[in-house]
Amino acid sequence: MTPSERIPFPSLAWFQKLCERMNADRVRYEHLGYVDCIVEFAVRDARGPGRPLRVQVTFDEFSVTDVRDAGPADSERADFTLEADAKAWREMIESIATGKGRPALDQTLNYLSHFDSPFRVSAADPLKRDLYFRYNQSLQEFVNASALGVTTFDERR
Amino acid sequence: MAKIKAGSAAVQPPPTATPVGVESIAAYEREFGEKATEWAAILQENAELLKSGRYSLHWLDPKDSGWGRRARPSSRGLTYADVNQLPQSGEMPKTATWLNFAPRGSIREPYRDRMPIVESYTVVDRDELWADNVITLYEEAKARQWNATRDIPWSELERLPDDLEKATCQLCTFLTEVEFVAGDFPAKWLYRIPQDFLEVKSFLSTQIMDEARHQEVFRKRAFAGGGLLHSAPGFEWALKAILDAPTHTMGTFLLNLLGEGLVLSIFRSGEMIAKTHVDKEIFRRCLQDEARHVSYGVLELKNSIDHAPDRGVAIEELHRFADVGELVILSAFSEPALVEPLAVLLGGGLAKIDQGMEGMAKLWSMFIAEYLQRCDRAGFPRDERCKIPKQAIWAK
Repeated sequence: MTPSERIPFPSLAWFQKLCERMNADRVRYEHLGYVDCIVEFAVRDARGPGRPLRVQVTFDEFSVTDVRDAGPADSERADFTLEADAKAWREMIESIATGKGRPALDQTLNYLSHFDSPFRVSAADPLKRDLYFRYNQSLQEFVNASALGVTTFDERR
Repeated sequence: MAKIKAGSAAVQPPPTATPVGVESIAAYEREFGEKATEWAAILQENAELLKSGRYSLHWLDPKDSGWGRRARPSSRGLTYADVNQLPQSGEMPKTATWLNFAPRGSIREPYRDRMPIVESYTVVDRDELWADNVITLYEEAKARQWNATRDIPWSELERLPDDLEKATCQLCTFLTEVEFVAGDFPAKWLYRIPQDFLEVKSFLSTQIMDEARHQEVFRKRAFAGGGLLHSAPGFEWALKAILDAPTHTMGTFLLNLLGEGLVLSIFRSGEMIAKTHVDKEIFRRCLQDEARHVSYGVLELKNSIDHAPDRGVAIEELHRFADVGELVILSAFSEPALVEPLAVLLGGGLAKIDQGMEGMAKLWSMFIAEYLQRCDRAGFPRDERCKIPKQAIWAK
């Protein structure tokens, strides 16, 4: 860990940092296998009531090729959306940090999204929703990499 | 020991011990003896050529095959999709007529009359097999293989309270049983598929490997926790219904779309209710594989329906099959040997099994909703005729 890496959450920069870490750890992702999908990570109310942060990450093979703050024009672009409020995201990120890259049993992506609460996976096409399952281990490791730096949170929220 | 009466069946001498192999060898000798004029002539020609010291070198002539253009790898290597762009790779036929091992794309026409027919190749209709995602799924399957011996952190497995350990072992017993048919079904059809459909055969081979790994990992997990527990008649009937499906498409629907869809949900639930990081890892790895099989099932069914000579008839036949298949599958998913251990794990212990059943009822509704969505996606609207209750049988 490099303590100087303090990245605020929620922010585009936080997701960009995860992408950088994935691209720097190709060997690990080669071991896990291809990831071919566009995921929209959404943090509800991140910009105020009713104003979410939506970050779209394009996974291609073993790396990330695009990460963007999704605007209205991008609404149809993602294969599926993984969304939760900032509190749920924070609990997961803190659990990953406490476990040094391994979340508690009740803080994995699948655990948190299985009952559609506190995280929710949505897609217009069930086949695209199934991509979340096809690449679940890789996506878990993608967020687990948040433990490689320090995430800061806005305590006013 | 009971006294054996003279003349009873019990004292009849056993039948002469004729090894099964003797009959089989005799049949093999007959078959190839009858056709000796065909293959022996080839052998003789070849032997004479070799003895004469002359060379044939006919294989150097590409004739009109289009030989010469070279396949170029795309970003992730040389895939079937890359190779299939070449005209000389051969077009996948709608109906296979090459019922032997001559590869699609090879120069084979001049030899057609001298080649044998493999009678096992009976699935000659492309639309009984093909799915538009099958090449992608094959590449993905190869890239996402894992090793149940090495990739699971077995040494970290913690001892659980007795009720939770037994529930975990029982769930693993069920899953081991299920994975046997999930491997046997594609294996049963694999050898009936002609080589012109090599992409589908390749994908089915990965599915067989996936299922072998799943039965391996669940068997190992059970023994790491004490052992396997109960198999169940309800499981067996459901699995037999899959294996005995009359067509590949029907069986793929029952196995990949419905059965594996439900098992995918169980794997997701297994990951959620896992009490150790080891179990989490097992279920997470398995659910990825299972989701690939579900994706094949959805698009294989869609392709079959879209290309049926009479769409209405095809859908009605599928409905008739599903009317039976769903109910038989339900016999597994209502077994106490499955529902109860899941409820114990979901509730957090035997004392909380009632709470677990409430959670299970919620999961049931989710399972069925997802199943019906996948049917819709395949162009097989099943909502009105679904035989599986949309609410759990025990839900109040």
